[in-house]
Amino acid sequence: MEVRYTDVDYLVFSDAASLMASGQSPYKRTTYRYSPLLAFLLIPNSFTSRCWGKFLFSASDLFVGLFIRIILKQRKVPDDLCTYSMLIWLFNPFTFTIGTRGNCEPIVCAMILWIIICLNNGNVVQAAFWYGLIVHFRIYPIIYALPIIIFLDPRFFRSGTKPLLSDWTSDQGKARQINSELTDKCVVCDALKSTFTRSRILFGLISGTVFLLCTGFFFRLYGWEFLHEALLYHLTRTDPRHNFSIYFYHIYLNYERELSVLEKLISFLPQFIVQLVLILCFAKDLVFCFFVQTVAFVAFNKVITAQYFVWFFCLLPLILPWSNMKLKWKGLCCILLWMGAQTHWLLWGYLLEFKGKNIFLQLWMASLLFLAANTFILIVLIRHHNYGPVFRQHTDLKTTKTT
Amino acid sequence: MFSHRQLRLVDIMYVTRTLHFARNNHVLRMKFVLLVPSFEEFDILSFQVETNSDAGKFIMKSYFENYESLHDSSFEDFMAHQLSSSLCQGIPDNWNVGVRLSVRELSLVGEGSHRHLSSSIRLQIGAASIPKLPAHLCEVIVIQRLPLGVFADPFELQNPHKHKAFRDIAVFGDTNLELPSFQSNRSAVEFHIDAGFNILFMQNNGTEFNLLLPLHARYQPLDESGYSVVEIGEPDMLMRCSVEGKQHKQSCLFMSPPNEKAKSTSATVAWKIPAGMKAHAGFVSVITFVTALLSTLSIVYASMFWSGTKVSKT
Repeated sequence: MEVRYTDVDYLVFSDAASLMASGQSPYKRTTYRYSPLLAFLLIPNSFTSRCWGKFLFSASDLFVGLFIRIILKQRKVPDDLCTYSMLIWLFNPFTFTIGTRGNCEPIVCAMILWIIICLNNGNVVQAAFWYGLIVHFRIYPIIYALPIIIFLDPRFFRSGTKPLLSDWTSDQGKARQINSELTDKCVVCDALKSTFTRSRILFGLISGTVFLLCTGFFFRLYGWEFLHEALLYHLTRTDPRHNFSIYFYHIYLNYERELSVLEKLISFLPQFIVQLVLILCFAKDLVFCFFVQTVAFVAFNKVITAQYFVWFFCLLPLILPWSNMKLKWKGLCCILLWMGAQTHWLLWGYLLEFKGKNIFLQLWMASLLFLAANTFILIVLIRHHNYGPVFRQHTDLKTTKTT
Repeated sequence: MFSHRQLRLVDIMYVTRTLHFARNNHVLRMKFVLLVPSFEEFDILSFQVETNSDAGKFIMKSYFENYESLHDSSFEDFMAHQLSSSLCQGIPDNWNVGVRLSVRELSLVGEGSHRHLSSSIRLQIGAASIPKLPAHLCEVIVIQRLPLGVFADPFELQNPHKHKAFRDIAVFGDTNLELPSFQSNRSAVEFHIDAGFNILFMQNNGTEFNLLLPLHARYQPLDESGYSVVEIGEPDMLMRCSVEGKQHKQSCLFMSPPNEKAKSTSATVAWKIPAGMKAHAGFVSVITFVTALLSTLSIVYASMFWSGTKVSKT
């Protein structure tokens, strides 16, 4: 069996790009399920080099490394920690092969990190623009909408003043910060009271407009086919073919009959509850919130493919400086546990796909183990995280205590 | 280009390259004469390379213009009635060409969900007819009908490096790569193979073409045994040649005589593909949701306990 290095998706993008270059719809290429923007970016594949796309994705990969450094420097993390964090991304064999294999995820990661940089700088308009664009490009960042809104706290985001970032050094050695604003009225109520602040409205309006403009423009060009393939497909996707998700076998066994509304709701509920709780607990520490949300989102999704892991790999270096967990031996155990659970699944997957053995049950159990491993590691990371809001108050402000 | 002289091996290779050049670059007419001293029946062949307007026309395309999906009965009807009008008849000289196409070997190579269907096709032409044939441009058409459970990837077949021996390959019917078999329709792969050169140098026992078709298994309907057996039969084969008609060029078909076409059941290959078991449905769903629930509760508890979020009642 030949093992192709280039991902099948890259061939799909390239074909779609050459269709677009000749004035046709990229959706004529079956299984092209991305925004036309991606095909547009890859048009030079047709007339310069077939590797143009790979260069673009690898360059984005390097930008992610650079942005990791910028974000950590914004929080005044010491140089050595910065360097280690960058190495975790740049030298992670999983992530650097993603770009060179022709997968577009590095672009998504770079945009997410740029949004974080803009928010840290108080640049709400630019952050909103890129956020609208990234949600159009890849729908999953919509899960970050609520934490960003909560994050744009009017006490820190005031017009005319740049928000004050809390330093890494001042966060270390501090007793676990109690979020004193959280009363029995709950943080949602608190947020709702001051929902309609300038920065929040601005963010919502600009990102919404950018999203609708992009969607509307491509709908005008490519019609319902664009809407189905690039948007609706991802929202309703249920793939019975084997993948890391715990739901795959349940979907396959029930594919011939229509699932009832109750069943669909039950499978959506864990995802919804986990996302909500994580947002309410961690929104003030935005990067950590993004990270735990992404890990949970991927773990509870109905379809999990290996490329989704990159979504949280780019955020991992940003949270590690705030983690109490040492590499020896807890950190190493977590890494080995995660890789072990994945390898275990892959072994059964190999037997099914390349040896033709019926081991659906064992493969399904391996996916349950994988979820268990992901849950355990997530809990350990939460346990060892030095939680602290990203911003601190300007000294001339009084902290308002709600009673 | 050539004069009447003895051919050497290098001349034969030049002819082959020139033939390919002519075909690929749509050279209208090229006529040359070959002397082949070792050939038993004749020593002068006149070969004309022309572009044939019907050369790229796919038979399966015509089938799908008349029928919505692929069924064995409809296909056999189509072959019997629609194509009979295109058979090579009423040719001047009224010669019986005696074309026979048969499958010498059919097997499945590989393991798992991705395998190759290997078939060996033998073409035999009556010795007396060969000198009359080279005035025509001939191609062998092989149609491999695929059962519901497997599919061929059209993009994989378009890969020029692997399939340069073929003039054309195309997949017709349901080419969706993702749907399970109970939501798919059947498909067929049509190969067009240049036969001119093979006919030129045909030995007594005919000439052979080897085809290797990459196939992939779809997800099968549930089965109690845990496996689903998919059977792939012999391909349908014919030869199409372009003929110098009275006014213009046209193509006509040669098919093996009907009594030869009766396929023996031993000529099918069986592919055993894993399938889900209905008996698992109940407990798999329950345990899946229980696991999801336990995971959710652990994460919720950990988040609330360790986020530094303290719910204070004032």
